[in-house]
Amino acid sequence: MAIRHAKRLSIGTDTTSVQGSEDIELVSRVVAQQDTAAYGELVRRHQSQIRNFLRKLCRDNELADDLAQECFIHAWEKLHTYSGSGSFIGWMLKVAYTTFLQSKRKSSRYDQVLEKVGHAAEVGGSTHTQESVELSDLDKFLAVLTEEERGVLILSYACGLSHREIGDAAELPVGTVKSIIFRSKERIRESFEIEDHQYG
Amino acid sequence: MVDRRKDREDKMLEALFRSDPVPDNGFSARVMTRVNRRIWVRRLALPAAFVVGGIIAMKPLSQLAVTFSKFLVFVPSNFGGLTLESIPQASTIVLGGLLLAAMMMITKMLEE
Repeated sequence: MAIRHAKRLSIGTDTTSVQGSEDIELVSRVVAQQDTAAYGELVRRHQSQIRNFLRKLCRDNELADDLAQECFIHAWEKLHTYSGSGSFIGWMLKVAYTTFLQSKRKSSRYDQVLEKVGHAAEVGGSTHTQESVELSDLDKFLAVLTEEERGVLILSYACGLSHREIGDAAELPVGTVKSIIFRSKERIRESFEIEDHQYG
Repeated sequence: MVDRRKDREDKMLEALFRSDPVPDNGFSARVMTRVNRRIWVRRLALPAAFVVGGIIAMKPLSQLAVTFSKFLVFVPSNFGGLTLESIPQASTIVLGGLLLAAMMMITKMLEE
């Protein structure tokens, strides 16, 4: 689709400003003409969401930003495979999630969070110890989940993807996505003894 | 009731996950620098490999040329008078060459 669109656009879009263009037009220009200005605009538009996603996934801003750079380089290489059927940010999040899963430098910060939470509970059961103050509720919630559950929950609630889009991004059937979300919420409730759905 | 509770829970989770946009702070520029570098590396890779390969191959090739020129001394003076028939299995070699050429053409056509 992107290639077909690219062929149509390659006839007369040289003068089109990249800033006012739709994502699909910019993708087409990149695929057809290796237009770095168009790709630069795509990076500028979506860097915040990709970095936010990876920051939540890694809980390490520096590592997340390194992975985000890798993600945009991979996306540049694979842009011709974007079919145009879903949103571009959905496709980018898929690339980001794959980059994270393939990374050898995956952060184990959530293990540290889990240790801290456990330690705080052992010390006095208080949620106001020095260590636990440094952690947000979100950190604690995410720490009790598996890597897959964390990824799916972030894609759903932080990135606002639909179940189908999450399925595409994480290469999971929609039914599995739904059950992972359900299971994750159950686990959070059980771990923190949350009643009547009082988060935060 | 369950659905209503679910909505409330989902909204709470969304609020918990919500975060401020990450400022660019030169991130896009760094990505584009790497992309541009990659483009240049790709453009230069083939000519560079050609030059490096040529330099590496120069010494053994010159040695081969010297050795070959020494062997020419042993070639009989009437070597030029050889006919195609005097080469054993010449027809097989020609047929093999033709088949190879045909195979290459078919492969190219299939690729296109």
